[in-house]
Amino acid sequence: MDRRKFLEKSGVALAGTSGVLSLPLLTSCTASSQSADSPLSGRRWGMVIDLSRCSEDCTACMDACRSENNVAFHGDERWDIHWIRRVNISPKDSEHRDEKSVLLMCNHCDNPPCAQVCPVQATYKREDGIVVVDHHRCIGCRYCMIACPYNARFFNYLENPEWPNKDFPRRSHGVAESCTFCAHRLDEGLQPACVEACRNAGHGALIFGDLNDPNSEVSRMVAEEPVKRIREDWGTEPKVFYLGL
Amino acid sequence: MQERLSGLFTRNNRIAVTIFVVIILAPFAYSLVRPVLTRGSSPNDVFIELPDTGECVRDTEYMRFHHMDLLKETREDVIRRGIRGDITFTGCRDCHTYRGQFCNKCHDAVTLNVDCFGCHYYPESAEDSLRLEGEGHDG
Repeated sequence: MDRRKFLEKSGVALAGTSGVLSLPLLTSCTASSQSADSPLSGRRWGMVIDLSRCSEDCTACMDACRSENNVAFHGDERWDIHWIRRVNISPKDSEHRDEKSVLLMCNHCDNPPCAQVCPVQATYKREDGIVVVDHHRCIGCRYCMIACPYNARFFNYLENPEWPNKDFPRRSHGVAESCTFCAHRLDEGLQPACVEACRNAGHGALIFGDLNDPNSEVSRMVAEEPVKRIREDWGTEPKVFYLGL
Repeated sequence: MQERLSGLFTRNNRIAVTIFVVIILAPFAYSLVRPVLTRGSSPNDVFIELPDTGECVRDTEYMRFHHMDLLKETREDVIRRGIRGDITFTGCRDCHTYRGQFCNKCHDAVTLNVDCFGCHYYPESAEDSLRLEGEGHDG
């Protein structure tokens, strides 16, 4: 065998073996990262906010959220973090700006812009549709805050001085955060803290449940009542529905 | 060639070469005698009183060397896949009651900064741990 033939043959052999060896690597890359035995699969959490039952001077949901999730409140609007807050919004096409006071929180979009822009995949959509931040992985670049059309993302510029719920982590300085639909409570079979607080306050304006379950109250309301979502035209497919918007 | 090599080992050069070799070998020699010099301050010599509350989630040897792997795996399971098993940070707190004794002692000895506790609550001292129990947390 002369030199040229030897080189040719060894080249072919090398290409063949590397192709075969890299097959499992390729298939593992394309395989879904989420395992089938996840307890989250099959669910799709959503919320309906009934604005007619929501009283404007009530802060039960916001207080409950703060004490459940250790959401930082410094008393300075530059650093304050709100997972759920009250804002005034007006219809896009209204000439006279008739503002409406609504509760605004992370909308847990089905097409979450925050997760799309996250350079380290710290923000992602869980299998049950909840958009959460893996704070261990967050590098604090704040792309998600820019991407979120609902301004639902907040950044920890300072350490949180309060720690009301010691069984739940607070967020350290330098990470972004937003509402998680109280994912830790849902995994235990409880309702989110704001929903529970609203019910205990006697309003029942927040209704929470599984959108995939046709018998849940949320699905029924979404199907039968004239619910609206904020800026549906953006195509983010939010899972927070408003009644009376 | 022969001449060159022998030229390297003339009397004057021999001293220079010896000094050079000593300087090069000094760090290696130091690393050999270091365990003897620093006996008592290595993490393996740090005495940690194990809690007498029974079995841990894994055996002692595994936990000593791989507790960080276990924590990372559990973390991925909980936040990515929503699998909340028996292993929780608050669960560690049940037996290893405060971090001054059970975390910081070793990590300080190896000058390792863990950033778990910026976000996760873990009592710093025995008094903190008692206060936490008094507040009615299950930790």
